[in-house]
Amino acid sequence: MNDASWIITSDLTKVYQTASVRLAALQGVNLRLGRGRFIGITGASGSGKSTLLNLLGGLDRPTRGTISVAGESISGLGRRELSLYRRHRVGMIFQSFNLIGSYTAADNVALPLLFDGVPKKLRRQRAAALLEEMGLADRMHHRPAELSGGEQQRVAIARALVNRPAILLADEPTGNLDSKTSLRIVTQLAHMQQGQNLTVLMISHEQALLKMVAHEIYCLEDGRIIEQETLRSEP
Amino acid sequence: MRITDSISQAFLNLRQKKLRTFLTTFGVVIGIGALVCMFAFGQGIQQSITENFEKMELFHYITVFSATDRQSSRFDHHDYDPDEPDLAEPPAAGDDSPGPILDDALIERIRRLPGVETVFAEIRFPILVRFGGRENFCLAQVLDAEVCRSGLLQLRAGDYYSDQDPNGLLVRDSLLRRLRIRDPQAALGQTLELCSLRIDLGILNPWKLAAIWRGERLPFSTESYRFQVRGVTGRSGTGGAVPIRSDVFLSPRAARPIKKINLTSLREFFPSPDQARGYSTLSVKVAGMEDIETVQGQLDDWHLNTFALIDRLEEFKKGFLFMDMFLFAIGMIAITVAALGIINTMTMSILERYKEIGIMKAVGAAHRDVKTIFFFECGAIGLLGGLFGLLLGIAVSLIINQVINHFAVQQGNPYMDYFRFPAWLCLGGIAFSILISLLAGIYPTYRAAAVDPVVALRHD
Ligand SMILES: Nc1ncnc2c1ncn2[C@@H]1O[C@H](COP(=O)(O)OP(=O)(O)OP(=O)(O)O)[C@@H](O)[C@H]1O
Ligand SMILES: [Mg+2]
Repeated sequence: MNDASWIITSDLTKVYQTASVRLAALQGVNLRLGRGRFIGITGASGSGKSTLLNLLGGLDRPTRGTISVAGESISGLGRRELSLYRRHRVGMIFQSFNLIGSYTAADNVALPLLFDGVPKKLRRQRAAALLEEMGLADRMHHRPAELSGGEQQRVAIARALVNRPAILLADEPTGNLDSKTSLRIVTQLAHMQQGQNLTVLMISHEQALLKMVAHEIYCLEDGRIIEQETLRSEP
Repeated sequence: MRITDSISQAFLNLRQKKLRTFLTTFGVVIGIGALVCMFAFGQGIQQSITENFEKMELFHYITVFSATDRQSSRFDHHDYDPDEPDLAEPPAAGDDSPGPILDDALIERIRRLPGVETVFAEIRFPILVRFGGRENFCLAQVLDAEVCRSGLLQLRAGDYYSDQDPNGLLVRDSLLRRLRIRDPQAALGQTLELCSLRIDLGILNPWKLAAIWRGERLPFSTESYRFQVRGVTGRSGTGGAVPIRSDVFLSPRAARPIKKINLTSLREFFPSPDQARGYSTLSVKVAGMEDIETVQGQLDDWHLNTFALIDRLEEFKKGFLFMDMFLFAIGMIAITVAALGIINTMTMSILERYKEIGIMKAVGAAHRDVKTIFFFECGAIGLLGGLFGLLLGIAVSLIINQVINHFAVQQGNPYMDYFRFPAWLCLGGIAFSILISLLAGIYPTYRAAAVDPVVALRHD
């Protein structure tokens, strides 16, 4: 294990078995991702991008193959360990923001700390600091419905980062945003990524956007990586 | 997750859905209210009756019956020598032999038993009391002066009569009220006229019977005697097996000239040549309820027929147990309905918060954390339901108590608390409410924890 191959997947396979259909969403994906890299993932709809991210984020388990992060096997973790992995190592953001509608922005950001048993006062401080960093100091006590899409996504980013994870997984974070806002979100992500030595995996259909910030771009098709492009070698 | 966070999280979530929380909790409130109310009623009735009996000291009495009254077996000429009251050994008697005679010697022997406070023969007879143009029909009881003084009768005014007093008596204050004498002090020294009734044995004479038949005379004779009020007693126990109240008390000497019917034994309607039979009933008052058993055991050893109300207490309690169980069943139905309400609400809530649960899992909530959140929500519903259910139960029972007493007091019954809320009932009610809510939450909680975050988060 070294920083150059920090995340390793080998023969990563996910098969969805529904009543009659057997669907292989991922078919033997082998990846070696360096630490502190911004990785773009692209591909047609249904090519298995989200499935890959969910496996890397510990939300789901592979049907076959292994994942290891920093030398530690993720695919072998138990239910409880997997939840700790999600809590401490990974932050996730989604196309539809996935904020809890009844919570304020601050409460949403502080949510991961809640499960970690962090005292309320500290939770508040951390959430406030992150929201401020995201430029949302005056939106702290607003509920998601009172925020614009871009603001909501920034709240989601703050939440993903509140536990200081090493990996940030972003599943089409700009899919619901206009191009100007998308640009802002992506630059903000890149900024965070550099500042905190984050490893970012971002799914996007917008090649131009990815090319602006990503170090490498992978392209998926039918659950296989069909193309890899390295844009920058510097982390 | 911290406990405090779990609790505040639960209340936060419940506050999001105020109406639904209110309705669900209201179901629990009704159930617990009914249950608590019913238990309180069972408790109240049981305690009130027991306490009233204890106030009348009914549990301190053993009634001793003469053998003929209960066994109708023949008497021996077995007797005790009053000059030798120290007869330590019990009368030699087999199982089928009759018990000893209830006479003064036996009274003396019983009085000396440890734990016995007083012993007196039950001699009561009906009497008509006349004073100032008013009449009242009541019971007179013959008691030794010493027995009166032993704490059996408490004085409100005046003094006890003495055994030598030929025409002194004690009256109960309630009789004075019926005779329109307001102040007990004013009654002291007043002369009361007592009229006794006695079956006229002349009815055995065919001529007199004919006269009675024609309505020319009554089948009993009356005679009147004059007595002076020496003292006034208030409410006090002059027990025996049956809590009949006597209103007039007088000494054996004062009672002797009165021709009377003794109410305690039908046998006394018919004059017996064999006066050695003794009294028909004795009342034994013991110092404390714990003495009943030993004294009664001793009396049984002497082949006396005894009765103590405390023996019936267990049967009483069994009766109350049945009532409690019946009430419990009704309350349980209410609480079962409430529990179904919780299951329904929480399951609905999980469907609604499906995505929220997925989010929580995605940001690192463990299986257990999700369970904890829902479990505490159920517990919070239980706590609120228990608290308000208890309040509702108390409020309703206060109203019912007022209504019952309104009618009961009108009919001359004493004011009673028909509901009791001992600490165990209050705490137990709340604890039970929480327990039921948690049980109702097991399935929804399990469902919540089993939510697959991938499915929950996939597109809206
Ligand atoms: N839970 C599931 N059960 C059955 N099939 C599934 C499940 N999740 C995903 N799939 C299937 O797996 C394939 C890959 O899905 P995935 O969500 O990874 O695609 P994607 O590349 O993210 O597409 P998009 O760009 O539309 O989000 C799809 O064909 C999808 O229908
Ligand atoms: Mg997708």
